[in-house]
Amino acid sequence: MNALEVVQPPAAVHVDAVGSVRRARRRRGTVVTGALAAVAAALFVLTMVVGDYAIGPLQVVASLLGLGDDPGADFVVRDLRLPVAAAALGTGLALGVAGSIFQRLLGNPLASPDFVGVSSGASLFAVSMILLGGGAGLAVSASALVGAVVTAVVVYVLAFRGAVSGYRFILIGIGVQQLCTSLISYVVARADVFEAREAMTWLVGSVGRAGDAELAVLWVALVVLLPLALVLSRSLATLELGDDAAKALGVRVERSRLVLLAVSVALTAVAVAVTGPLLFVALVAGPIAHRLLGPASSGGLLAAGAVGAIVLLSADLVAQNLLPTPLPAGVVTGLLGAPYLIWLLASVNREGRGG
Amino acid sequence: MTRTPHSLRAEGLSLAYDDRTVVDQLDVELPDGAITVIVGANACGKSTLLRGLARLLKPASGRVLLDGESVHDMASKDVAQVLGLLPQTPLAPDGITVGDLVGRGRYPHQGFFRRWTAEDDRAVAAALESTGTAELVDRRVQDLSGGQRQRVWIAMALAQETDLLLLDEPTTYLDINHQVELLDLLTDLNRAEGTTVVLVLHDLNLACRYADHIIAMKAGRIVAEGAPVDVVDSALVSEVFGLPCEVVPDPVSGTPMIVPRGRHHAGRLVGSAPTAVDAT
Repeated sequence: MNALEVVQPPAAVHVDAVGSVRRARRRRGTVVTGALAAVAAALFVLTMVVGDYAIGPLQVVASLLGLGDDPGADFVVRDLRLPVAAAALGTGLALGVAGSIFQRLLGNPLASPDFVGVSSGASLFAVSMILLGGGAGLAVSASALVGAVVTAVVVYVLAFRGAVSGYRFILIGIGVQQLCTSLISYVVARADVFEAREAMTWLVGSVGRAGDAELAVLWVALVVLLPLALVLSRSLATLELGDDAAKALGVRVERSRLVLLAVSVALTAVAVAVTGPLLFVALVAGPIAHRLLGPASSGGLLAAGAVGAIVLLSADLVAQNLLPTPLPAGVVTGLLGAPYLIWLLASVNREGRGG
Repeated sequence: MTRTPHSLRAEGLSLAYDDRTVVDQLDVELPDGAITVIVGANACGKSTLLRGLARLLKPASGRVLLDGESVHDMASKDVAQVLGLLPQTPLAPDGITVGDLVGRGRYPHQGFFRRWTAEDDRAVAAALESTGTAELVDRRVQDLSGGQRQRVWIAMALAQETDLLLLDEPTTYLDINHQVELLDLLTDLNRAEGTTVVLVLHDLNLACRYADHIIAMKAGRIVAEGAPVDVVDSALVSEVFGLPCEVVPDPVSGTPMIVPRGRHHAGRLVGSAPTAVDAT
């Protein structure tokens, strides 16, 4: 390294280099995000193609657009398969974006809503509604939604001490999650066998149980919250540098963090209300998108959402079609996610970050 | 280069973490266009004062005035266009490239409707160039050496293009060569752009050499301030650090140079090597 020279206007060559590196980064971001969105769209259609009653992809698209001329196919596509595909797509998007916001905001790849109590709070409320309140359908979904929000508020309040530190939020979240899990076990253990079975089924997580009302809530939430998340992604990119650096750059740290947490909790809550706790989707989406984006990862929320949708749509396709007996998607996400979590814990500790 | 003059001062400023007061009823004014170095023993409140001046901490009492207006009443982004701070341990997100990181220093100059412009590219290129990191623009920050990484962080702070720049122990983790290089860089910036630079430093000799104005703190209060030649002597070092020492002129710059006494070497003649007898 040479002695540094007096500050001068930069040589034009450096400005051009900076510009071209930045444009290359943005191009890569656009290409990767576009490709992921295309894959998600293809899987969305594929989910409606396969099944006992085979319908061609073109006919599926025609039915979706209201151009179909076969009432039988229209019924199968729009009334039977579309709700499942839309639930998988929407939930995957929501969980992918929510997980990525959590991980980047709290600076830890383990900080997924699955692990900081949000999903298990939702489960506790939903299971209690099934077993103690005798509710079903929409009542259970509504309880899950409320449970997710209440748990997130509890964790935030407990973690707040003048400001919220990511580390404290995660540790308290894990504690709250343990508490919810024990309470779920207690409630299930006391229930009669038939009802307990229903509760256990809910706890696995499935994209196939959503009613019209739940789906409407999910998609309205996505339409409102996704643009908000994208607007906030600039603050998120600054908050990643640490609170002091973010404040020095003019970010209103506590307010931005609160809004970002609220957006991701709301996304998680609507997702869990629709499908039950689909573990690991939120955990894996962000890191996979990050790998694919490489140097372009700073604006990767949409890419993370697309990866979430791809993971969930694939998990459902595998669960419904490739297994000996059709199973809920939650079984597959759990089976794929657990080894990833073990790898993550091992590698995180080796690199000395986060864990 | 012309720049608007700025004033940054604290009036009756007290800063506390929870109930523990760290900076107590302090009045200070940072000279405009100069390099000010804050020194003091560990936990004397020097970093806290710097954070308070950069409105990172809310005062328990008193206020910080930037151009006569309280920084806590100003819009945070407006402050960030004039006053920058490089914290002691900023975090580099996993996998981030140098160009991306330095570009984040442009945050206060951008908005929802004013995204990236050619002006931002120019500021980033200037920051990379003056820190000698232009060649690293597409490298990942985590792959750099400690010295390079620190220069990249400085580049991010420079890209913010503020007239006042506060740095909290920027030379920590750097070897002596890189420390001098970094302080030379900040001096270049001060001389060329007239940037007001405020630093917290541990090395007293470097502080005396590079500071136009030195502030010595002890237990949350200012013990002495002024030009190093005027205020730094063995009595001050003994009071602030509890360290018995000699102060001699720096053979290179003529500024005060601190030579600690310690318990084992006092009385030795210069150049006399220890003998086996001494060692036993």
